[in-house]
Amino acid sequence: MIFGIPDPQILLGYGLAIGFTLACIVYGLLHWNEENGNGS
Amino acid sequence: MAVDTLTMTVLVIIYLAATLIIGYLGYKKTKSTEDYLVAGRDSHPVIIALSYGATFISTSAIIGFGGQAANLGMGLIWLTVLNIGVGILLAFVIFGKKTREIGQRLRAVTFPDLMCKIYKSPLMQYIAGFIIVVSMPLYTAAILIGGARFIEPTLGIDYATSLILFALITAVYVVFGGLIAVMYTDAFQGTIMLIGMTVLLALTLIAVGGFTAGSTALTNMAGLVPKALADQGMTGWTAMPSLGSPIWFTVVTTLVLGVGIGVLAQPQLVVRFMTAKDNKSLNRAVLVGGPFILMMTGVAFTVGALSNVYFYQTSGKIAIDAAGGNVDAIMPLFINQAMPDIFVIIFMLTLLAAAMSTLSALYHAMGTALICDLWGRGKECALSMQAHKYGIVIMMVLSTILAFLLPISIIARATAMFMGLCACAFLPAFAVGVYAKVPSTKAALCSMVTGAVVWFAWTAFFHAAEAKPLGLCQAVFGRVTLLGAPWTAVDPIVIALPISLIVMVVMQVQSGKAQPTAVAG
Repeated sequence: MIFGIPDPQILLGYGLAIGFTLACIVYGLLHWNEENGNGS
Repeated sequence: MAVDTLTMTVLVIIYLAATLIIGYLGYKKTKSTEDYLVAGRDSHPVIIALSYGATFISTSAIIGFGGQAANLGMGLIWLTVLNIGVGILLAFVIFGKKTREIGQRLRAVTFPDLMCKIYKSPLMQYIAGFIIVVSMPLYTAAILIGGARFIEPTLGIDYATSLILFALITAVYVVFGGLIAVMYTDAFQGTIMLIGMTVLLALTLIAVGGFTAGSTALTNMAGLVPKALADQGMTGWTAMPSLGSPIWFTVVTTLVLGVGIGVLAQPQLVVRFMTAKDNKSLNRAVLVGGPFILMMTGVAFTVGALSNVYFYQTSGKIAIDAAGGNVDAIMPLFINQAMPDIFVIIFMLTLLAAAMSTLSALYHAMGTALICDLWGRGKECALSMQAHKYGIVIMMVLSTILAFLLPISIIARATAMFMGLCACAFLPAFAVGVYAKVPSTKAALCSMVTGAVVWFAWTAFFHAAEAKPLGLCQAVFGRVTLLGAPWTAVDPIVIALPISLIVMVVMQVQSGKAQPTAVAG
């Protein structure tokens, strides 16, 4: 049991929710000045 | 209420005054029809992210789905996974940039207009516009009901007056300020929501002794799961329901997949991508959008589940029993009992902000669909700012009338229905439209119509949650649903979206020799 939660599916859900949030932050920082489209 | 009505009224008036002033600033910046419809295609990344997030998250997500987490447990965290992974990362990175590029190149101003110009099909614009004008009032009415239900006890105004006031005040800045006013106020309201949910998480963790202590206590309460829920597959608040059980289908197909995927093709959200000046703005918006959504749904679902611990420790009851069996009453009750007075006020403003930000976006999307995509499609009149103002007023009035006709308990159900229909009707055609070099108009039209029809058929004749109150299956076939369990718990999106997708893909492949369209050109 980790963080008081026995079901690995719930833990995986929390892990992915936080992981995707971090991915959003990293993506935004890495592509901060990137203009890779052709519409501008 | 834990706070006096006078204090609350004063703070709500200050909040409304600030909202109207910000809306006025948007009005002053609105000089052209393009400003009115797509915010001049020059929005700041933070405004885009907060506007997208605040439009995405309504009162339903916090109260309705937070209550569902209190009732069904932490499994709803998977909806947060989809909200961020699909609703932000996939939506902005995969669809957002292409939508912005194509929208800017083709000068599209609404979602149906975008589809029409991609596929060079006026019929596509009519169908998409029709689906929006017919279905979006249902979702709008649900938001209105939620807002009025909050205003009624908070400010001591009767329900009917609350509903009309709520509709009118929101409509004022949408009608006059267009999308710039909507997005400015969204950003303000999103900031209030972020503050409110952050404080809610902190105070809840303090109330239950921290996350691990709270979760452990919740795990130890598994034996308190009501028999009716246990019989349907619920095993505890910190565990997923039994695989394939009715509650598993409800959690996974309706609450997680239905809402999680449904966000991808919502017209009022797709338009946000077309307000960006360049792809840099969308990249930067992702940075803000991900944490914002985590702090909205992730917090609501965690707090909802942990509220069981608080209620059990203070009253010996689980959350649903403490709220008298009303899922929608759990979160407000928890706030009132567990939080200090000042936070009750902050949270009430959070709810009002969540409702108004979604409502304003829906008014704008419906009004522009009525004028630009149906009444004035292809005509010069569609470019008149005045005509769109009339359109928004008409749709506001229709939605308000519908809100008076619908049952009060419709909020969460109407939200899931609208999002499901959007995904089934629009998503395959939208995805292929922005990515295929030669998208097939015939495939898109068939996919859109098939998705909508199958979604409606499954809703009316198979999915018990809607088939029962609609009564159409009962009237035609003399029974509540055509099939028995587990099909009665399978959400329409699980059936209609794959069918819509198959139609799109098969016909797209078959039309390999079709004429190039605007996208290819």
